[in-house]
Amino acid sequence: MASATRPATVRERVAESDRSVGRLLLVAAGALFWGWLAVSWVNRWLGGVLVPVGQPLVPPAAVEATLAGIPVLAAYAADAGFVVEMTPDLARGTWLTVVITGVSLALGFVIAVPLAVTRVYGRFSAWVSLAYTELLRGTPLLAQLFVLYYGLNLASYVPDAVSGVFAREVVWVAILGFTLNGAAYQAEYIRGALESVEEGQITAGRAIGLSKLETIYHVVLPQGLRYAIPSWTNEFVYLIKYSSLAGFITVPELYYRADQIAAETFRYTLIFLVTGVMYLALVLTASKLMVRVEERVAIPGLGAEREE
Amino acid sequence: MSDDDFLRVTDVSKWYGEEQVLHDVSFEMDRGDVTVLIGPSGSGKSTMLRCVNRLAEAQEGSILLDGEEVLSPDLDVDELRREVGMVFQGFNLFAHLTAVGNVALGPRRVLGLSETEARERAEDQLERVGLADQLDSYPAELSGGQQQRVGIARALAMEPKLMLFDEPTSALDPELIGEVLEVMHGLVDEGMTMLVVTHEMSFARAVADEIVFLDDGRVVERGPPEQLFERPEEERTGRFLERIASHD
Amino acid sequence: MSVAGTLALAAVESLGAAARATAGAPPTGLSTAFVGDAVDWEFVFRNADYLGVGALLTIGLTVASILLGFVVGFPAGAVEVYGDGYLKRAVTVAGIVLRGTPIVVILIVMYFVVGVPQINLGVASISSAMTAGILGLGLRSAAYQSQIFRATLASVDDGQLEAGRSIGLSRFEAVRYVVVPQALRRSIPGFQNEFTIVLKDTSIVFAIGLAELLTRGYDLFSEQTTAVLEVILFISAIYFVLTFTTNRALDRLGSYYAIPEGEST
Ligand SMILES: Nc1ncnc2c1ncn2[C@@H]1O[C@H](COP(=O)(O)OP(=O)(O)O)[C@@H](O)[C@H]1O
Ligand SMILES: [Mg+2]
Repeated sequence: MASATRPATVRERVAESDRSVGRLLLVAAGALFWGWLAVSWVNRWLGGVLVPVGQPLVPPAAVEATLAGIPVLAAYAADAGFVVEMTPDLARGTWLTVVITGVSLALGFVIAVPLAVTRVYGRFSAWVSLAYTELLRGTPLLAQLFVLYYGLNLASYVPDAVSGVFAREVVWVAILGFTLNGAAYQAEYIRGALESVEEGQITAGRAIGLSKLETIYHVVLPQGLRYAIPSWTNEFVYLIKYSSLAGFITVPELYYRADQIAAETFRYTLIFLVTGVMYLALVLTASKLMVRVEERVAIPGLGAEREE
Repeated sequence: MSDDDFLRVTDVSKWYGEEQVLHDVSFEMDRGDVTVLIGPSGSGKSTMLRCVNRLAEAQEGSILLDGEEVLSPDLDVDELRREVGMVFQGFNLFAHLTAVGNVALGPRRVLGLSETEARERAEDQLERVGLADQLDSYPAELSGGQQQRVGIARALAMEPKLMLFDEPTSALDPELIGEVLEVMHGLVDEGMTMLVVTHEMSFARAVADEIVFLDDGRVVERGPPEQLFERPEEERTGRFLERIASHD
Repeated sequence: MSVAGTLALAAVESLGAAARATAGAPPTGLSTAFVGDAVDWEFVFRNADYLGVGALLTIGLTVASILLGFVVGFPAGAVEVYGDGYLKRAVTVAGIVLRGTPIVVILIVMYFVVGVPQINLGVASISSAMTAGILGLGLRSAAYQSQIFRATLASVDDGQLEAGRSIGLSRFEAVRYVVVPQALRRSIPGFQNEFTIVLKDTSIVFAIGLAELLTRGYDLFSEQTTAVLEVILFISAIYFVLTFTTNRALDRLGSYYAIPEGEST
């Protein structure tokens, strides 16, 4: 920090304190957001122990009345009441958004690693892997979801074993779509990272008697996956945002819920601003989380230097 | 040239595509011998070394190690590499593992030792190369000389019957060369069989039983160090040695 | 992998089925639903020009959005590298918001919230959905393009700027004539990526009812529901050709403008 070597100018000091206040506000907002979500979800699972299922955690009328008493905020009191009223729906939608993103990301990763490995080290399978990634990265995700949902009507083929997990079977179709699509993108990132692992690492692995596959598993992947974290974070963030497309095939996630409320109330402005903020909160949480993960697994001398 | 040579390389030839990089190379070693390969850059020293543990495939000739044909297509290559240690010019330490992790990986995954056994063995080997105080450092936290000593410990941990060194000190700053050579001297004293590519002529002179001079993929001349250094028979050998000496 | 494979197979077989059907042998049984009917393919091809107009709209939307993204995103990237104070922070925050919100939400906010008007150019008019689409996709792209330019501007060696200053250029001139030309060339790979993202995401203006390729496809298969797979495969193929040719074209551009023997290091 500049202040360590010379006295900070007033301007710098103001900027510095601005920034730490901002950071504090952000942390507080994050805690509020996740606290609200967690309490809402738990309340629903336990059949409404705190408030009846479907009711906001705090009564909208109370919020409205409180705000109306504060001079500056009085003008927004009615809006705030309205937003509070729709919070139960938004919390429900966010649950699906989080689940769909998490499950698809994990399943996509499981597919992406072998895809990337064959792409780098395979022969014939490298072509199969290339064709797969090019095809899925070359067409819009929404078109892919339409293929699965409208074209192949997969919602009616969901196996009994898993169909009860979600209220609606179409959720599985969305997960399948995001998994297949995400695998292609993740494979691309992982491939890039694997290729950046030096040749000498493989030679050394082979020289102590590891087989090729063992060398990939014990030497190349642990390094390559660490290199991949920053771009993989992008994929995580993309998936949170693009999970909103599940709404187009009637999955009642966050965007879908917002759209439904908007269609009933015509308050598009307010509803989608709030929805946008919620997605932003999810995205920021994900990137902060990944920075943490990256720090946790960091190894001196390994991995891309992060900007900022 | 007895029948029970420990390593016998006979008429080994190797091509990369159209280019022949080894021409009928032959030499042999007894158990406990130190042989030093010298020669100009690009003469095929690394390639020869890598043929011995099959990191490179020779197309013709024979390499008998302890009576077994290394070049046989039926040979279990991983088994061979278990028994032949290699030390690289560029260290090639596993960047994601600590010093102990680097040394323990082979014993753990290849020899199948338990986690604790592998770690103990790794600690012993690191102590052997004078790194008992750097067990948990990552490669990026070590000096070049320390890294190369980890590289040696990694190879030793497999308890190899032959060690290959490919210019182990060439990538090091001059002041770090000594510590690596010292470790290698120690191995010689313990009776390790070593095939070494190096430009460190004083080391070669001190420990080698035989020097093999390669040029253009051919063995130009070989013999005990006194002979090769003092009275080279071939003119090319003399010229090469002069050039090396003037660089020192 | 299996689904993509199946789809590709389905596409090939469908074409085969179309040929067979014209020869008078209608496919039967389960395969009918899956590989498609000659009737359905005929339906697709009959409406090819309808879809073609959609493809043109998709292209227009892409180009306009990319241009808007460049015009806004390049200065934004420069501000992030060379700027300071509140301007820089404003740009940074705007970027985070635009990159952190789903494009469908941005589009709807543009459409309903900003209430973009229809633009009348005398000869032609641009619908408000089109304007919202360009604004939404364009500004979001600006946020991403600013990151590309930020990275490449920062990657040009400081010595370049100093050398420019040392021959008497002002700071702005040195950036303008020395750093920017190098940075732009290095931006091509990132730009390529961005181009295909925008191209594919034009499909999401579906949400505001703009009749581009995907929306038209949807309308078509809503009309003849047996042709769902055929229609989507057809438009997917168009998208694929578009992304593929764009990528190759930008590859060409990249090698054409490449500076030989490495750039400053
Ligand atoms: N993987 C390879 N592919 C093609 N040519 C190679 C390869 N490795 C080495 N060579 C060639 O083989 C010759 C001998 O190389 P090398 O054994 O590395 O020489 P040295 O170690 O004596 O410097 C050189 O001409 C080199 O270019
Ligand atoms: Mg060499």
